[in-house]
Amino acid sequence: MKRILVLIVILFVIGCKTKPKQVNERFSVVTTTTMITDLVKNIGGDKLEVKGLMGAGVDPHLYKASEGDVSKLFNADVVVYTGLHLEGKLEDVFEKMEHQSKKIIVAADAIDKKNLISSELFASNYDPHIWFDINNWTKITLHIADKLGEIDLKNAAFYKENAKTYLKKLKTLNLEVETKINELAVEKRILVTAHDAFNYFGKQHKFNVVGLQGLSTATEAGVQDVQKLAKFIIKNKVKAVFIESSVPKRTIEALKEAVNSNGHQVVIGGTLYSDALGSAETVEGTYIGMYKANVNTIVNALK
Amino acid sequence: MSSAQIEIQLIASLVAIACAIPGVFLVLRKMALISDAISHSILPGLVIGFFITHDLNSPLLILMGALSGILTVVLVEYIQKTKLVKEDTAIGLVFPAMFSIGVLLIAKNANDVHLDVDAVLLGELAFAPFDRLIVNGIDIGPKSLWIIGTILLITLSLLVAFFKELKVSTFDAGLATSLGFSPIVIHYGLMSIASVTTVGAFDAVGAILVVALMIAPAATAYLLTNDLKIMLVFSVIFGVFSAISGYWLAHWLDASISGSMITMLGFVFFLVYLFAPNRGFISVLYRNKQQQKEVQLLTFLLHLNNHTEENERHINHLNEHINWHKIKAQSIVDLAEKNNMIVINNQIIALTPKGKIFTEKAIDYIITNDDSKIESMKKDFFLFRG
Repeated sequence: MKRILVLIVILFVIGCKTKPKQVNERFSVVTTTTMITDLVKNIGGDKLEVKGLMGAGVDPHLYKASEGDVSKLFNADVVVYTGLHLEGKLEDVFEKMEHQSKKIIVAADAIDKKNLISSELFASNYDPHIWFDINNWTKITLHIADKLGEIDLKNAAFYKENAKTYLKKLKTLNLEVETKINELAVEKRILVTAHDAFNYFGKQHKFNVVGLQGLSTATEAGVQDVQKLAKFIIKNKVKAVFIESSVPKRTIEALKEAVNSNGHQVVIGGTLYSDALGSAETVEGTYIGMYKANVNTIVNALK
Repeated sequence: MSSAQIEIQLIASLVAIACAIPGVFLVLRKMALISDAISHSILPGLVIGFFITHDLNSPLLILMGALSGILTVVLVEYIQKTKLVKEDTAIGLVFPAMFSIGVLLIAKNANDVHLDVDAVLLGELAFAPFDRLIVNGIDIGPKSLWIIGTILLITLSLLVAFFKELKVSTFDAGLATSLGFSPIVIHYGLMSIASVTTVGAFDAVGAILVVALMIAPAATAYLLTNDLKIMLVFSVIFGVFSAISGYWLAHWLDASISGSMITMLGFVFFLVYLFAPNRGFISVLYRNKQQQKEVQLLTFLLHLNNHTEENERHINHLNEHINWHKIKAQSIVDLAEKNNMIVINNQIIALTPKGKIFTEKAIDYIITNDDSKIESMKKDFFLFRG
């Protein structure tokens, strides 16, 4: 037993020594969701080393850390995340990392509190799916570019320049999306999905957004929720409902069955990207590609 | 290796040791399930702690959690003492009740707070190095390292101080009472340690890994030894080995650290289960086979002893008379010949003097069923295991 104790003490002493971090030429940035990763890569270009924690199709609420994430976080100079509890308990970890000479950038800080959609019951809880309003994404782009510039002074102009280029792309995206959505009459703009991820999308494009389960993807829809929503769909003659990439499609299929058994035909309009982008190599692996894909899926199915 | 990687392995190793020690006693007392029970029944403690402090990060929450863990143990003990239900049933009755009280308290009073076991006890080993303890502006290492180190130190000193009492009351509660110390006090002491360790380790490494680290190393060690001290040492070795090798497995696969550690615990148990010298699967299989062979040999020798006529002792006769398969018959004959118990002349088998003595001893034992004679028999039988 003594030997074990000695071993523990030795290991402990080794463990307490922290190696001085080598000065990297490039800042190492760890990002959480695929949306944030895509954005930071656009701003940082080749001046930043960007490592995303969550892969394509990973639900941020249910993300589990892997061993590689330890090294990513340990070697990070900056951590960029969404905030508003989208990343759950991880946010506490990031906040604590601020005391360890690591900088954190919270995307949600870019948005004025009064522009956030708050929960009906609990005023201080906000809907974290802020990226679905392109205006929000514009603000977030500027915010992150600013903050990165403060941290990495000598590349500040570069980040600002990249942000400007990206904002132009966002503007084009906004126009394209608006034209597409205008093909759809306002009374047809009803978006039924698995969970409430599209409230900001609805707010920007005047959609009536109805989610089957609540904000958190951890809870499940009850039988009553399904029946209520089925009645709503029949009453409003909704043509299609949608599946989400990071939420199981079982519940939305149950909804479809419930509607169809009452004589109204509703189809599954396709899969929408909600809490994560598509795979890295595809067009949907970028924010802009994802947004276009979503709008096309929605408009084509509801027309 | 970065310091974060070293720290994770260090925390995991300390948790492994801190869990292995109470784990050995839990397994020996057939109460292994209690660690799983405690991991659920701490919820009402956390909730009440939150009601008092209104702070999710207060240490009082963890203290209250440990208290409700101990309450679980007390209730289990109480139900079990009625003798109406067994240990496992008592555990199964208490912890869902405790957990549901916690759920009801949340639903009634704190529905708008993200309050559940996961929220209070982070339990992700990968992030443990980033939650650091800072005293007077100086970083003195990860918080969970200090928590689990303190728990381990308490556990170790209690183990050393009360080793004899723990040993006696685990194996013979009656003797413990007559020696003048209450097995009940020792029992509650042990369960309190298990409870505190579970809650503390929870915060560092997460629920499932704690349960696995309590039970798997002790269960593995129990396959190898009956000696309490050796069992403790083995459990610690298995726990630490699985923790560190599991970490590198996770590194190699870029997978969940706890998941890989539990995989290693299962793998080590499986290996020991297969290859343990006395209780292992292969060893038992070999022993059964060997015993079968020895019985056959004895039958064969008795047959030779009973028949003086040559045709009964002809080598070809074995197949038809004793009804053995040819290959089996040959292997038994070879075995007997190798041990100088028979000689074969012109395909006629005869017992040697050694074979004769052996057979007579066996007959003697079968008739008298005298245990004192079996000792030397055993020695003879071991002869064949070369």
